[in-house]
Amino acid sequence: MTRRPFDGGIWFWLSLAALVALGVFILYPLINVLASSFGAARTDGRSGWQVLFAEPKYLRAVGNTVLLGLVVTLTTTLIGVPLAYVTARFRFPGKALIAILPLTTLIVPEVIAAQTWLMMLGNNGLITRTLGEWGIPVPSFYGWPGLIIVMTFIYYTYIYMGTLAAIRGFDHQLEQAAQSLGASPGRARLDVMLPVVLPAVLASALLVFTLVVGNFAVATILGHKVELLSVITYQTFVSEVGNDPVMQSTLASVSIGIVALALFLQRFILSRGRYEITLGRGARPVDIRGAPALALAGAATVVVVISLLPLASVIAGAFTRARGPVMRWGEWTTANLERVLINAPDPIINTLIYSGIATALSLIFSTGVSYLLVKKRNALTPAIDYLAALPLALSGTVIGIGLVMSFNRGWLSLTGTAAIIVLAYLIRRLPFGVRNASSTLYNIPNSIEEASISLGVPPLRSFVAVVLPLMIPAIAAAGVLVWTTTVAELSASIVVYSGGRETLPIQIFRLIDSGLMAQASAYGLVLVSIILVPIVIATTVFRLDVFGAK
Amino acid sequence: MGSISIESVSVSYAGNRVIEQLSLTIPDGAFFTLLGPSGCGKTTLLRTLAGFLSVDDGRIRFGDVDVTHTPPYRRDIGMVFQDYALFPDKTVFDNVAYGLRARKQVEASIRRKTGEYLERVGLSGFEARRPAELSGGQRQRVALARALVIAPQVLLMDEPLSNLDAKLRVQVRETIHDLQREAAITTVFVTHDQEEALALSDLIGLMHAGRIEQMGAPSEIYAAPISSYVADFVGAANVVEITAPSAIEAGGMGTVNLAGFDVSARAVKRVDAGRAWLLARQEDIMLHPAGGAAGIKATILRRQYLGSRTHYRVRLASEGPALSVERTGPDHSCFSEGAPVQVSLDPMRTLVVPR
Repeated sequence: MTRRPFDGGIWFWLSLAALVALGVFILYPLINVLASSFGAARTDGRSGWQVLFAEPKYLRAVGNTVLLGLVVTLTTTLIGVPLAYVTARFRFPGKALIAILPLTTLIVPEVIAAQTWLMMLGNNGLITRTLGEWGIPVPSFYGWPGLIIVMTFIYYTYIYMGTLAAIRGFDHQLEQAAQSLGASPGRARLDVMLPVVLPAVLASALLVFTLVVGNFAVATILGHKVELLSVITYQTFVSEVGNDPVMQSTLASVSIGIVALALFLQRFILSRGRYEITLGRGARPVDIRGAPALALAGAATVVVVISLLPLASVIAGAFTRARGPVMRWGEWTTANLERVLINAPDPIINTLIYSGIATALSLIFSTGVSYLLVKKRNALTPAIDYLAALPLALSGTVIGIGLVMSFNRGWLSLTGTAAIIVLAYLIRRLPFGVRNASSTLYNIPNSIEEASISLGVPPLRSFVAVVLPLMIPAIAAAGVLVWTTTVAELSASIVVYSGGRETLPIQIFRLIDSGLMAQASAYGLVLVSIILVPIVIATTVFRLDVFGAK
Repeated sequence: MGSISIESVSVSYAGNRVIEQLSLTIPDGAFFTLLGPSGCGKTTLLRTLAGFLSVDDGRIRFGDVDVTHTPPYRRDIGMVFQDYALFPDKTVFDNVAYGLRARKQVEASIRRKTGEYLERVGLSGFEARRPAELSGGQRQRVALARALVIAPQVLLMDEPLSNLDAKLRVQVRETIHDLQREAAITTVFVTHDQEEALALSDLIGLMHAGRIEQMGAPSEIYAAPISSYVADFVGAANVVEITAPSAIEAGGMGTVNLAGFDVSARAVKRVDAGRAWLLARQEDIMLHPAGGAAGIKATILRRQYLGSRTHYRVRLASEGPALSVERTGPDHSCFSEGAPVQVSLDPMRTLVVPR
């Protein structure tokens, strides 16, 4: 006799269905990618790994990618950690500005950030040209300077938010205890706070590293002569599609390996110092005035203004007259917007449809999977848990290539359909969706459901009557988040899309490639609006904590 | 209404056999408490009665009805949880009315019964509030009303008082006592707090490692524990190793050797000759000024004045066992720390149990 004869059956079969879906759409493509890297190339019969180690181009790309990852991780930490410390511990004029920081990373897609920096500092950029007219030479923004600066300002908010949460949760009394034992305030902070906050910094630093390694938009637009793994992988895919998947698989495997290694290192470092972090009362922020306050406010303002620069430029660019690639700054027009909204609205419509479907499916699937993981554990749920987190280690490019390789032909042929784009969106968002829904479910005690059952309501109806209403705010917040990230998705969708199915980020990317910045800005403005409207409605009308759900 | 009978039930939880071949019967209308430390299986047994866990073996009857394979939502139970388990998005009224609505009662009757029960738990006027706007004690009263308003066959309570602070615990305890007596619903109450168990129960089942170690009325459990485990768990007792020169029959009196002195004690069940445990409640031990004829020579090790009573720690003989003693009434200031005293035990209340 089973332990739960009344409802054990249905949950087991649902778990099995979820496991099969995850196996087919995540594990199978991943295995395909890894396996075919060992196959022989059609051109000369060498395996992908032999080619990789023989050609300096590929090795340079690996080296550059790791180097860029390390440098950006360092620069984002140098900005994010002090900023978090200052906001957690001090009050100063203009502090409210920093509250909008998380917004900037969310509402400005990477492709637009890269584009707007180019509009300012590229060869044809506004600042480059203006300074040039004054006789001041500006060094080229392409290559390392552009990559590092743009990625730093895209990704530092991850470090900032992770560290901020840790410092706020840090029990201030520990610091006081250290001081009472004779440590100076500075020393006490270093001794007591650092070990507690460090894991959070490390975790967000790792996230930044993986994002940099997987970054496609900025790497392609600004990389120029700096060879990077994601760019070369994509180029190999574009030139090889349909005939020789060996090299693309090898390169994709390398990036999986880099991220896996980073994850392993983080685990290793964290496991060496295992301690329980007791969340206590954080310190109250201290008021500071005078010169230090001004300096702090100034520094914080610079960071925020630079973060908001892309947003301002995309608005300006959208309304600026252009002749081909030349922007006529100062001459305003609505022609760009009219063009994208009336003459060529297809990318907008595609984006709305694909992301709408992906958001709905993602919420249903992650809520269901999380319910199984949290409330109905069985023999299959550990495997589901593991598979659902797997996309964290895969860049968009890798996911895209895996999907194309696996569903190109045969029993499930998806290439060329809209379904493969939606699928790519779903897979990329899955780990975040499941984590969100799980943390909500953990906060809903089992006893509530059991109370309803004990009062005479069967399990499934009890879930709908008492658990689901409690999850709705979190599901709605997660929905907004899935929406904002899928409409901005580029790296996987550009691999799997086919002609006529361009989404906004893909179209913007192609226009930047052709140098048509004004039109790219117009689509960019539409994209930012599509992202912003649900956030504004959710936070003002429904008072949802969208960013807490992250 | 009806009795509850548990017939050689075995239950596993997370792959471990937690309850093995347990049988007991709870009479109709009785307040039965499962008392025991955490991990003894008392909550598992309660959840098995509710139907949230299923039995490996054995059967459970509510009255004449076999409910062994009835799902929880058809067992007609009222359940009160440790964390209240109120529906946070629903008002107090809707929480209490939830079970009645599930039973598809007419709205007028729902309103009348809900109002009546809210009044009984002293929460009239709180109908429109949400759980977050109530204190812990008020929340548990709502949970009580919600469980009782459906007039269930049995009431199951899982440590309902343990999240409350000391003062509220006594208040809600009194509410539970009054409501249960009034409705005369067969009740199973789980707790690790012996005072709650003694105060509320008609019958206590003291659990230990998945078995019922002793079952009886509160006074019986307290006055005649059958083992050192029961004595130690219910009320603080001195448990001291002694030697019995000869066997003592169940219920009989005998003389045993405690730290070289002869002491009279009663056997709850038969004790064989040899080593055994002597059980003496701290309030059943008398202290006399040194030099008297009766008793065992002892020394006061520690003295703590607690207001209504004074707590002593005394060492028997020079190197004998230490005992805890509690005296009520006036401050016995003559027994200061380090002072010699004479200790005597009440033979009727001093028990000897097998090791």
